[in-house]
Amino acid sequence: MNLLNLSIAQMFDFAAPILFAALGGVVSENAGVVNIALEGIMRFAAFFGVWGAFIGKNPWMGLLWGLLIGAAVGALHGYISVTWAGDQIVSGVAINVVAMGIITYLLEFVFKTTGYSPPVPYFGAAHYRVHISFISKIPILGAFSNLTLLVWFSLIAVGLIHFMLYHTVLGLRIRAVGENPHAAETLGVNVMKIKWFATILGSVLAAFGGISLSLGTLSSFTNAMPMGKGFIGLAAMIFGKWTPIGALLASLVFASAQIVQLLLQGMASGIAKQIPLGFYLALPYLLTIGALIGVVGRAVPPASDGIPYKKEG
Amino acid sequence: MKALELKGITKQFPRVLANDHINLSIEKGEIFSIVGENGAGKSTLMKIVYGLYTPTSGEIYVFGKKVNMKSPHDAIKLKIGMVHQEFMLIPRFTVTENIVLGDEPRKGIVFDFKRAVKEIREISEKFGLKVDPLEKVANLPVGIQQRVEILKILRRGAEILIFDEPTAVLTPEETEDLFKTLRALKKDGKTILFISHKLKEVMEISDRIAVLRRGKLQGVVKKEETNERELARMMVGREVVLEIPRVKVEKGPVVLSVRDLAAKDHRGILKLKGVSFDVHAGEIVAIAGVEGNGQMELVNSLIGFTRPVKGKIVLNGEEMKLITPYNVRRKGMAYIPEDRKRRGLVLPFKIRENIIMGQHTLYPFSKGGILNDKVINEFATKQVEEFDIRPRDIYINAGNLSGGNQQKVILAREMAMKHNFLLASQPTRGLDIGAMEFVYKHLIEEKKKGIAILLISLELSEVLGLADRILVMYEGEIVGETVPEETNEEELGMMMLGIKRKERLVQ
Ligand SMILES: Nc1ncnc2c1ncn2[C@@H]1O[C@H](COP(=O)(O)OP(=O)(O)O)[C@@H](O)[C@H]1O
Ligand SMILES: [Mg+2]
Repeated sequence: MNLLNLSIAQMFDFAAPILFAALGGVVSENAGVVNIALEGIMRFAAFFGVWGAFIGKNPWMGLLWGLLIGAAVGALHGYISVTWAGDQIVSGVAINVVAMGIITYLLEFVFKTTGYSPPVPYFGAAHYRVHISFISKIPILGAFSNLTLLVWFSLIAVGLIHFMLYHTVLGLRIRAVGENPHAAETLGVNVMKIKWFATILGSVLAAFGGISLSLGTLSSFTNAMPMGKGFIGLAAMIFGKWTPIGALLASLVFASAQIVQLLLQGMASGIAKQIPLGFYLALPYLLTIGALIGVVGRAVPPASDGIPYKKEG
Repeated sequence: MKALELKGITKQFPRVLANDHINLSIEKGEIFSIVGENGAGKSTLMKIVYGLYTPTSGEIYVFGKKVNMKSPHDAIKLKIGMVHQEFMLIPRFTVTENIVLGDEPRKGIVFDFKRAVKEIREISEKFGLKVDPLEKVANLPVGIQQRVEILKILRRGAEILIFDEPTAVLTPEETEDLFKTLRALKKDGKTILFISHKLKEVMEISDRIAVLRRGKLQGVVKKEETNERELARMMVGREVVLEIPRVKVEKGPVVLSVRDLAAKDHRGILKLKGVSFDVHAGEIVAIAGVEGNGQMELVNSLIGFTRPVKGKIVLNGEEMKLITPYNVRRKGMAYIPEDRKRRGLVLPFKIRENIIMGQHTLYPFSKGGILNDKVINEFATKQVEEFDIRPRDIYINAGNLSGGNQQKVILAREMAMKHNFLLASQPTRGLDIGAMEFVYKHLIEEKKKGIAILLISLELSEVLGLADRILVMYEGEIVGETVPEETNEEELGMMMLGIKRKERLVQ
């Protein structure tokens, strides 16, 4: 494989966790539930994924554990912010803080270490990859010849969620609830049920993102995970205007910033060499701020995004 | 046959008894109106009928059967539909999506948009309510948005249609259209519950009329056997003086002087195109005009929400440069805003907080940044009493008050502020007769005190009744100046539509 194809493939590896988190945000916020706990959920899922793979001796077990814990933490967020109509940001921050502490503790408790877990079976291993050998020599297309299952999942998820949001009855109702839950309620839509569904599905998607981190290209959990990928995912969601396809493009832009940074570090000369590393790390956020203040096409959230819903009377 | 029967319906909110043992019986195929002042409990009663509120006690019968509704879903199944006072629409969705939401045509799990559009075309045709199914609701004028609301409930097969103050947001032409629709629906055998506090409309459209006052049913009358005056008396509980008394006050010096003022709206379109006028002490100058002809930009320039593109504003002899709401208020301007909920009040704040806002940094309400609760409470209690704000509870949130009482809180605040100029922008918008009368009384009081008043109004009766001088605004310009004695509604109407101009000769 040539350098171009390699770089593109690597970009997809980088993009997958961001994209999953962004899709989680898209689903959740289209139903009006802001979920900044995505970061914490990724951390839970990244760890439990490794733990599951360690015990079950295969990554599928890890995936299952990761998704279950993601759904469970999502349910906590749902209970606080949907059923209880509490503040969604407070709930999210709380979950993130808890994730920080508990997982550090569990890492020590389970693996007797404070830094890295031992390597476990992971989806990046050659026999878990999706080989499409006949395209491997073709420029650009060749990048798709040896991707991990998780990357493919992330791309398929974009299509599925797009279809769900814009072509199914459920999707129409999700978006209605995010725009005007009172209107939806008066038409007999079960607002609570929809919000719960979107919160759990969003959390499960974020859990996929966490697993992509620890069982995707890496094969272990490091205590720094998910290194802000959940927040970058939310940034990608905003940059992508709360749509799945927008989230995909934004995730690719953000991931390629990382690739460019890696490439430049290796071979840059002149001015490019003098651009500080921090700039590339900050790029996703700078672009997002641009999207919010309307520099790169204005991003408008669903009208009732983040507003707790209580039934009247 | 009886379409709907209410027996002893009572709704107790934490602080208010909104409905007090209401008994009503509504025949199938009639247009039944419910009138009452703001806060009388009309919306509450209708929300109970629509399953949004559970009554504290009482029974509901729909087409003879006792029902127990837990949500609008149940009401829809019983063929009850409601067009809410605040529209329940999703601006970003198409007309079609708004109408079918909750009962979507589908193929498996897929939303069958094409079939939905076809359905909307059909019912739109059937009921003579023209809409473009593919248009986004955000792009529609209010009258058409209401049509979408009506189609929404008709598509669900509603036989009993509730309209909660449907005309409040409509222009006169749109109201006529709505009435045509209502008559057509009646002919179709539908039962209509029409809520309003505009008596003229009620007298035009209803078969029978029920009057509510402070949660209690005052009586049900046949349209033929009553008149506006009687209804007003039942609503308010006493004779209402609908006429505004003429008061002459010696005109004082110029307080506000505006010269060649021009301003843009928030989208950058020039809406105010160079207006000049003076307002003297003890004088009410009314700006008449159809909404959207530059009044908003004039108000915004005066209060400091918009930076004028050119022109001069002189208040009390001092040219105002770089106007901010803070400094115009310090210079003696009081302001009754056109939109009480957004500009006039902080709805989640209590009366006691709203009533001192703007003066909260000043002695005696605060000192060194610390609020003096005792002084504030005393002041608020006194004002609540004096302005007859109900309930007499300074700890209630402004958002839980009726419109009339919200307006009284604003009046109580603005009148107490040190001022000699009052900018009253549509001060009676959305108010019932009782509250309107109250506002007029206070404006006249102000005038007697020698305050200069600029009244912006869309109601010609109000303009003719209150003003000493009338300026007519059309497309951002003053196209006419006159006095009430020399004009009438018809002439003003023509000027407002830009058909006629009139310069008043200087006396
Ligand atoms: N959700 C609520 N909680 C508490 N009080 C309410 C609520 N809704 C209405 N009220 C009060 O009940 C009374 C009747 O209100 P409403 O039915 O809206 O009157 P109307 O529609 O006749 O103007 C008012 O005093 C209002 O402040
Ligand atoms: Mg009402």
